[in-house]
Amino acid sequence: MEKKVKIYTTPGCHYCQQAKEYLTGRGVAFEALDVSQDREALKEMRSITGGGRSVPVIAICDQVILGFDQEAIEKALNCLQ
Amino acid sequence: MDVTLYSLEACPFCEKARIFLREKGIQFAELKVVPGSASWEEMKVKTGSGTFPQILVGEESIGGYADLVDLEASGKLYEKLGIADRKSDTVLYDDIILGAGPAGLSAAIYAIRKLLRTLIISKDVGGQVTWTSDVDNYLGFSQVNAAELVSKFESHVKKFDVETIIGRSITAVDPTGRVKRVVVDDGRVFYGKTLIVATGGGHKLLDIPGEKELQAKGVSYCSTCDAPLYEDAEVAVIGGGNSALEAVIDLMNIARRIYIVSISPLLGDPVYRDKVLASEKVIVFPQHQPTRILGESFVEGIEFRCLVTGKVKTLNVEGVFVEIGTMPNSSLFIDTLASNRNGEILVDLECRTGVAGVFACGDVTNVPFKQVVVAVGEGAKAALSAYNYLINQK
Repeated sequence: MEKKVKIYTTPGCHYCQQAKEYLTGRGVAFEALDVSQDREALKEMRSITGGGRSVPVIAICDQVILGFDQEAIEKALNCLQ
Repeated sequence: MDVTLYSLEACPFCEKARIFLREKGIQFAELKVVPGSASWEEMKVKTGSGTFPQILVGEESIGGYADLVDLEASGKLYEKLGIADRKSDTVLYDDIILGAGPAGLSAAIYAIRKLLRTLIISKDVGGQVTWTSDVDNYLGFSQVNAAELVSKFESHVKKFDVETIIGRSITAVDPTGRVKRVVVDDGRVFYGKTLIVATGGGHKLLDIPGEKELQAKGVSYCSTCDAPLYEDAEVAVIGGGNSALEAVIDLMNIARRIYIVSISPLLGDPVYRDKVLASEKVIVFPQHQPTRILGESFVEGIEFRCLVTGKVKTLNVEGVFVEIGTMPNSSLFIDTLASNRNGEILVDLECRTGVAGVFACGDVTNVPFKQVVVAVGEGAKAALSAYNYLINQK
């Protein structure tokens, strides 16, 4: 089954790292995609954000969050329960 | 023991005292006073003060709202009320540090080594350091990855018993009074005997049409994060200082063409400047000011004006990296702490702000040279000053 939480990242992005640590701390399973290497993932990220070009982008269920917005993530995680 | 609250109509601190007493479940009688009346005279006799509110416990005057909060937090209010077995459920920290960049984290280490009960509140850890890729000028590290340096700072602090609240925004700070209050965005209130303001700086914005609308849609403030998304693209970097030149260097191996738009000639360190100007991909527009970022749902171009001739130019670009410096995160203190015209909080040599028990350090202050090593030193000074302040309190 496809994981419900995806995070689009680049290696130099500290907020991506913090977002991943936050999700891990919350015990949330996620798939991390490095968009600097993975062109398909970049295409996917740009399509779900309507042309977005900043990381991190976090997709939770059908919700898309731009940046490491902890409050928005918390709210969005409700859909996993 | 009876509690009496002398209040004045439409007095905000009277309302605060009223709410506070109700929240703590303390019964009180309220006497509404009209200045100049007999009841005002009575209040002045009983409390020795003519300002509002005034609070009496039995016949003892305890002062105004700030004194009330102070007494409650220290548990002394319950002693006076004769309910000594009730302990204050308020945790009173010796030191609340606002911000967890190099200044705040350094302050935390110095505070905790003085055995101060310390709380750090911050939206994130690392502050502006995390916006760059490498740090080459921090003593002891000839070159270190910025994220790695921050995680070293963080793990150093974690070794000690520092309490942290990370990921929350601070919505209000009341730095006046002996007990300082900090409200965070989930509504919790924290109390401290001292405050160390280390809220750092944020990106300075261009403040031109298109910037806000196209944020994360091609407008970026973090080149180490977003440069990899511009493979073979044409991009613009705005600014002429070190941050701008570092952004160009981040982009040089990825983008096809990089335009630098700067209101001044390039000002960054020669070591960066030489590297940037040696690249065939780079075209510099010195003395040009951006006027508009173009694009509907994502960045398609940038419009800028020559400051010498007034001529307006447009370039097609997919990305605009804004690197025009920082501004201090001091808006929470606009009414309470003195600042200069750039919004930097004014501090003296011992990081004091002019408000008793409130110290500031790092990029939020008027201390020149926004460098990691400077912020770390200032953080240490602020914590030691806070310690000196505390040991001189009764």
